[in-house]
Amino acid sequence: MDTLTAKVDDPAAPVTVRPQLDLELRGVRKRYGDFVAVDGVSLKVEKGQFVCLLGPSGCGKTTTLRCIAGLEEPDDGGILIGGKEVTRDPPWERDIAMMFQDFALFPHMTVAKQVGFGLEMLKKPKSEIASRVKHVLKSFEIASLADRKPGSLSGGQRQRVALARAMITEPRILLLDEPIGALDYSLRETVMLELKLLQQRTGISFIWVTHDQNEAFSLGDLVVVMNHARIEQQGPPEEILQRPGTAFVAGFVQGNNVFRGRVAEIADGHVRIETPVGPFFVPFTGAAPVAGGEASFSVRAELITDAPSERHGNRVTARCTAVEYFGSVRRHIFERPDGEVLKYDQFGAHAARIAIGQTAELGWQKEDCVLHGRVQR
Amino acid sequence: MSTIRVRSAASYWLAVPAAAWMLGVVVVPIVLLVWVSLWGGRAFSTASPLTIDNYIRFFSNQTYLKLVGTTLVHTATLMAVTGVLGYCIAYFLTMKVKSPLWRTVLFLAFIVPFWTSTLIRAIAWVPFLGVNGVINQTLMFVGATQSPIEAFLYSRTGITMAQVSLYTMMAAGPVVYMLNSIAPQLREAAMTLKAPPLTVFWRIVFPLTLPGVVIGQVLVFLNVMSDFATVATIGGNKHALLSNLVLLFYEGSQIRAASVVAVLLMVCMLIGVVVALRVVDIRRLGADR
Repeated sequence: MDTLTAKVDDPAAPVTVRPQLDLELRGVRKRYGDFVAVDGVSLKVEKGQFVCLLGPSGCGKTTTLRCIAGLEEPDDGGILIGGKEVTRDPPWERDIAMMFQDFALFPHMTVAKQVGFGLEMLKKPKSEIASRVKHVLKSFEIASLADRKPGSLSGGQRQRVALARAMITEPRILLLDEPIGALDYSLRETVMLELKLLQQRTGISFIWVTHDQNEAFSLGDLVVVMNHARIEQQGPPEEILQRPGTAFVAGFVQGNNVFRGRVAEIADGHVRIETPVGPFFVPFTGAAPVAGGEASFSVRAELITDAPSERHGNRVTARCTAVEYFGSVRRHIFERPDGEVLKYDQFGAHAARIAIGQTAELGWQKEDCVLHGRVQR
Repeated sequence: MSTIRVRSAASYWLAVPAAAWMLGVVVVPIVLLVWVSLWGGRAFSTASPLTIDNYIRFFSNQTYLKLVGTTLVHTATLMAVTGVLGYCIAYFLTMKVKSPLWRTVLFLAFIVPFWTSTLIRAIAWVPFLGVNGVINQTLMFVGATQSPIEAFLYSRTGITMAQVSLYTMMAAGPVVYMLNSIAPQLREAAMTLKAPPLTVFWRIVFPLTLPGVVIGQVLVFLNVMSDFATVATIGGNKHALLSNLVLLFYEGSQIRAASVVAVLLMVCMLIGVVVALRVVDIRRLGADR
């Protein structure tokens, strides 16, 4: 498969300068009876940003997306698309397009008819629709499918048709609900790359909902981690990976070891946190934590060493229960004295030093610990 | 997966009971019917010479031809009324009634009357439509009319009213099924592609339910064409359709004429079904989803 070519529309079209945000959510809240699906979600999406809403199933990410699309009406809060208040506007009056998880292709329409549907709704002249459909089908490499119906297409082909159908109207924002979840695993990486390139070329903002952190971190300019209807943390992938803001984010993101305990002492930029597996020293920035209060911190698995020296101020002794070799890293699963799991990643090119069943002392530098703050609202 | 292969000996043997049954109750009677309709002479005898005189006699009678026309117009009227009404009911039940409990209750309320026979349901309309019937009493009570309306019972209007109530659910049922099989995301996808609700209906929902509409129309067409009971009870002696003519000839021992009308009815129905199949390939239902 080659990459998708050029912009969806005529590449010579003038690019208007839009200084305002593509999307803004202001404290959006949505309830279903007693169940709160989205609770005070605020978000700013700049022009042409790739945003990933990441979270476990039932965290409210899809409901948030549906609120943006207008398929759900929020009980509270405001939604602005391109600076225009659209909170009460129906979907067909919003400058968005949406790609559904199962693609939602119209079974009775041919691919060409389907892709041209959005233009038809915009009341474009027939000749213009025909030529643009032709152009778009060609650039999405599905020109040969023009007269086929969705029933006879493969998963990858359906995905392309759904994307072409959504992109042809050149919306300000494209909403994608787990857009590659229905594809074969082998196809996903290629499609991910294509979509990222397409997004960069067209400058359309993508709001991509996923539960797969690999997707979110490799695609997103901005990653929004959601849990229990709220945003736990939002920021660039590096920030979320390196400085998880809450115990949930740290636990949800792969490769973090989370420790919970009580703040025992605060001294020269570090807090001493007493945990069931011993005391640890954690640096803090900003407001000092309350002594005696509960606290949690995390340390990444690759920052741990199995040969601690004086530099490694935090130590824990644990027994190795499993070793997984991924090529780039060798992951050791340890059982901590309190029964929790501790992960330690060794650089894959190095020789194995710890065998299953072996007890080892692991250590890491104080500065490698990340103290968690409160949940962001 | 079935372990019985297509065209194997076992598959043919398994088809024997059904085939024998169809042969006995469908094919043989139809052949007999056609045969009797071609009998010449006057005697009830298998030795009768074969001729098309019976058909010529039927088609050269203006009254009978008019009756064929009336029957077709009446059936078309019913198809139109039950089609629109049935679609509205089906749409209301599947799209507007959100609570599953209410949906079940309403659906049962529509379905339960079908557990009684057509004849009984037809007769049940008589006390409603009569001069002192429920409808007239209600109309007079409300003050909509001073004197009872006689047009209800023993009239085409009355027959149509009763048949609409009898057959609307036949038009609605298949539509309910088709509406239920439309994924909500399809309508949502159309909406995000800037289609307002009415356009979503005409471009997405209606085309996808078309097979259900056609099947419903076929059911109504077949039932109304063959319904002599309602016409006889509600229409009294004043009104008759093709199916009543069969009964009339039969009671008058005009077995040849009865066969001719029966064959004619059958041909009409066959044409109707063939036309319907040309519009929608019912056998391929659900193949694309």
